[in-house]
Amino acid sequence: MNDPAGATLPAPTLHAQPVPGNKGIWVGIFCVLVEFLLLFCVYFIAKAHHPAAFERGPDQLATVAGVTITLLLLTSGYCMVKAVAAIRRDARRTTFFWVLAALLLGLGYPIVKFFEIRWNVAHGIDGTAGIFYTVYYYLTLNHLVHVSWGLLGLIWVATRTALGVYSSRDHSGLEAAAMYWHGTDVLWLIIFPFFYVLR
Amino acid sequence: MIGKAERTWLTLVALTLAGALLAETGHAGWPLSLVVAGLIAVKGRLVIDRYMAITPAHPRIRRILHGFVTLVPLMVIFSHGWGDVLRRLTTLG
Repeated sequence: MNDPAGATLPAPTLHAQPVPGNKGIWVGIFCVLVEFLLLFCVYFIAKAHHPAAFERGPDQLATVAGVTITLLLLTSGYCMVKAVAAIRRDARRTTFFWVLAALLLGLGYPIVKFFEIRWNVAHGIDGTAGIFYTVYYYLTLNHLVHVSWGLLGLIWVATRTALGVYSSRDHSGLEAAAMYWHGTDVLWLIIFPFFYVLR
Repeated sequence: MIGKAERTWLTLVALTLAGALLAETGHAGWPLSLVVAGLIAVKGRLVIDRYMAITPAHPRIRRILHGFVTLVPLMVIFSHGWGDVLRRLTTLG
């Protein structure tokens, strides 16, 4: 039958698959991934030109600092997984608890980094100590900047969770913050072996 | 109760500690580079698939994230095995 008035809607052709969080956060995450892919290229090129410096470099760094940061980020990420699961059940108090735990653990990262850099400088490892350490500071401080954005995001969603803004039906903001936070986690899981393990 | 999230977290912690052990005892060479490449790929996939729960998400998001944690380990292997080639390609003049 004809439909001259165009009253019949066309069959939906949009992708049925959801976008976790919101589209905006994925633009941000993909920009960060591209940025770090370029920084990783800098790492590999520097390593190819100065293999001896990159073989000796990790021996001088405090592995315990790198491991502690990794464990803090992984555990903080776990808390955000639990927070998203809790808000899907409308358990708002539980959600707030998990976001707060994620935030407090995440705040451990800049604190450990502060002590690590202080230890480095006391041992003569600053940005001019050699090509390995220049690249190390370049990448890790850049990551710290992105973690700082993530921490600000966690403060924002913790506040909104406390105000009861999120629910099982509308929690895209919380989920977006969790996605970004996990994204910084993935990047650190690459950076950690580059500077503390690989030779 | 130990659920999927707890198992993932425990696996990631165990792999991190294995990496820490390697950091203290590992020597430059193919075995270390291959293990590091494997650790990056496995840990990256665990965070993406379990923490981000990306499986039901839009395929483009999934492909880009999976591609990222596949490409970087390949770069680790390439830089170890073909460092000379990379050096030649990136030498000016």
